Amino acid sequence: MVLIAIVIGCVLGAIIGINLPIISYTYSTYLAIAIIAALDSVFGGITGVLKGEFDFKVFISGFFCNAILSILLTYLGTKLNVDIYLAAIVVFVGRMFINLTIIRKYYIDKWSKKIEEIKNKKKN
Amino acid sequence: MTKKSQAIILGMVCLILTIGICVQIKTVNNNGTTTSANQELNNLKSQVLKMREKYEDSYARLEKIQTELETTRSNITNNNEQLKILEEELRKYNVLLGTTEAKGPGVVITITDTDPKDPIRLIIDNKDAVVHNTDILEVVNELKNAGAEAIDVNGQRIVDTTAISCDGNVIAINGEKVSSTFVINAIGLPERLSTLKRPGGYLEILEDDAHIKCTLDKKDKVEVSKYINANKFKYAKTIE
Repeated sequence: MVLIAIVIGCVLGAIIGINLPIISYTYSTYLAIAIIAALDSVFGGITGVLKGEFDFKVFISGFFCNAILSILLTYLGTKLNVDIYLAAIVVFVGRMFINLTIIRKYYIDKWSKKIEEIKNKKKN
Repeated sequence: MTKKSQAIILGMVCLILTIGICVQIKTVNNNGTTTSANQELNNLKSQVLKMREKYEDSYARLEKIQTELETTRSNITNNNEQLKILEEELRKYNVLLGTTEAKGPGVVITITDTDPKDPIRLIIDNKDAVVHNTDILEVVNELKNAGAEAIDVNGQRIVDTTAISCDGNVIAINGEKVSSTFVINAIGLPERLSTLKRPGGYLEILEDDAHIKCTLDKKDKVEVSKYINANKFKYAKTIE
């Protein structure tokens, strides 16, 4: 169910995105960091669904707050002449890997249980 | 929280995500920026792009303000006969100075460097195969001689302070770099201006000696762009 929704969302997004006009180059840095934040949110959301602790409010507020904070950090970075957006990227990507580990372990557990069940059935 | 609503929310976020990715990819591709290993180079590239954007923004603003000025002026002078005459005069002098666009009958001349793949390049000197500032100068002079009233070269209006000079491997006109292909718009009597194509004329010399491709088209409507830079007279004063 979740997987199908994600695939449909990606396809629709690609179709809409291709037809949208390009943005000014100045803002492309901000869009890039917002993309990373969104990607992190998606991974977080999938983990939440698998764990069964997915909360609508937490998810949506996290999505917007992360994106806005990272954009603000990028802006601050351009003013201070520090590539502070790198810090945001490190955090987001780090969290993405942690979430990926959780997702991976969940499926490994599920499948190994299934395989054992099949083996038990054959023995019986 | 049902499974369905969870799926819808995740789908929506994915939608936003992919829209963002697509727009970003398009923007980056459009600007021809490839991520290079060199941080310095990347910074310089993005600075150049930002500067260009700023320039375009300012130029668009200038255009807008100028049209505003134009409408305001015509609004004010609409009811007053005397002001109307002054307005006409102002317009005429602006065309003379080159500070407004001009249109009228004339010719369009294009001059292109010899194609590097052309086998003729093996025989002739490299130096001869490209268009020089003196060539453009010669053509502009001939146009003026034939009675051209307004001339621009690649969007650079030829005014009284215009210099056509050599700037490395490009040509500088009004201090702006222009390069091949050169498109020269000239307003004047088309029949007279087209005499530039006469046998023995400079265009023919260019074509025969250097194999530089020249074309001349007579047109009923030629548009000549305006002079952008501001003229500042520091030393010249009127005699009273």
